[in-house]
Amino acid sequence: MPINEPNSKVTLEQLLRLKRAERPNPEFWAHFERELHQKQLTALVQKRRWWHGMSLIPMRRVLLPTGAVAIATLTFISVRQSVSPQAVETGRVPALSSSTVQEIETLSPVQVPSKAVYASLGAQVDSNATPSNYVIPVTESIPVTQEIESPSARSIAANLARLEQSEPDLIHSVLGSRLSSAARVQTVAASQNASEETAGTDSSSRYRLIARYADRALSPEPLAPVGVRERIARRLGDDLGEGISRIGVVGSRVSLKF
Amino acid sequence: MNLTKVFTKTAISTPERQQEADADLVVVKKVQAGDVAAFDRLILKYRERVFGVIYNLTSNREDSSDLTQDTFIKAFQAINRFQGNCSFFTWLYKIAVNTTLGHLRKNKLRSFFSLEKISEDGADIQILEQLTDKRGADRDTYLKELQEKLNEALQKLSIPHRTVITLFEIDGLSHAEVAEVVGCSEGTVRSRLHYAKQFLQGELGKYLRA
Repeated sequence: MPINEPNSKVTLEQLLRLKRAERPNPEFWAHFERELHQKQLTALVQKRRWWHGMSLIPMRRVLLPTGAVAIATLTFISVRQSVSPQAVETGRVPALSSSTVQEIETLSPVQVPSKAVYASLGAQVDSNATPSNYVIPVTESIPVTQEIESPSARSIAANLARLEQSEPDLIHSVLGSRLSSAARVQTVAASQNASEETAGTDSSSRYRLIARYADRALSPEPLAPVGVRERIARRLGDDLGEGISRIGVVGSRVSLKF
Repeated sequence: MNLTKVFTKTAISTPERQQEADADLVVVKKVQAGDVAAFDRLILKYRERVFGVIYNLTSNREDSSDLTQDTFIKAFQAINRFQGNCSFFTWLYKIAVNTTLGHLRKNKLRSFFSLEKISEDGADIQILEQLTDKRGADRDTYLKELQEKLNEALQKLSIPHRTVITLFEIDGLSHAEVAEVVGCSEGTVRSRLHYAKQFLQGELGKYLRA
């Protein structure tokens, strides 16, 4: 429906001033006041969250250092996590940084007695069974980086670990308590060359002895057939033969000399 | 030099405004000292103006009521941060405008009119008579249509333009005050005003003097 045509006598400014006349009635303000007081009380009672105070902190000043610290932390964590599974997978020690390698190089290397010392050492080991008296003479050194790389060395480590569990007294009397398992394994692995020369002697008595131990402790099935036990003993003997140069029996004790 | 101090000098343009700002500052100091009831005086003084600004920006009385309440609550919560660098009413307007702009941006797609009736007591009678010589029902119908057209045209403006024209033409703030409330330069305010007026003249041409 057409509305009355306006007189068109006003300016835009005057027309906009009409908006000032759009006012609520007094009842509206009574209601408004009630609601506002309720909201005010609620706001007073309501506990402000901790992040509301964050707006007061000049963020530009703390943003850069915070970001840098966060990135550094993330990098550190991710590098650590990426190194660990790899080490588990390959069975190696985690990759060493250059500083760590330097530290290791400055440490005294694991010492391996030479072949000539074994003979003089045999009696000593047998007679001085107490580990505290046992001293391995320092003659040759091997680099630490030659670690448990070969399968045979790993097998030796496993066998020694099992022996350690089943015959702790034997291992204790032979190796003493000063070297850790890993160091012992390194020593065994490093003395492969020396042992090869002496491996040929007393092979039959060695196999018998090892077969006895295999029968007692290392066989997965104590009542396994004789053939199986002998095969296990032979394999164990082969593994041990790489690292063990001498096996001696004194009374009820068995001594292994490296 | 502190920029807000410059704004204070330029924003409070008239001696009356300066006097008003000083009086407000006294009340604000009381509130800051712990006299919470003193804040009610500020509410009573400014509630209609704050409501007016918000209403002219939203064209919705219910939203305006809620937003006005929110504005006063925000001001009450932040009163300790008010340091007197600008006048209290400018500071309060800033809160009101920012609260409203946030609401408008959030509800871009949902906007409908809920208009207050034009109070002939408060309106410029001369303008009304110039607009129409009708009486009774015809006059009311005409005024209602005019009000709707006016609000429609204002809502067609972008939010920055609507804010500027509302503060300057309807609420009577100076260019400097508008610039301070909106947070832009006076030049920008003038430019926006010019554009907004051009647009409104195009929209409301048939009601205006040729």
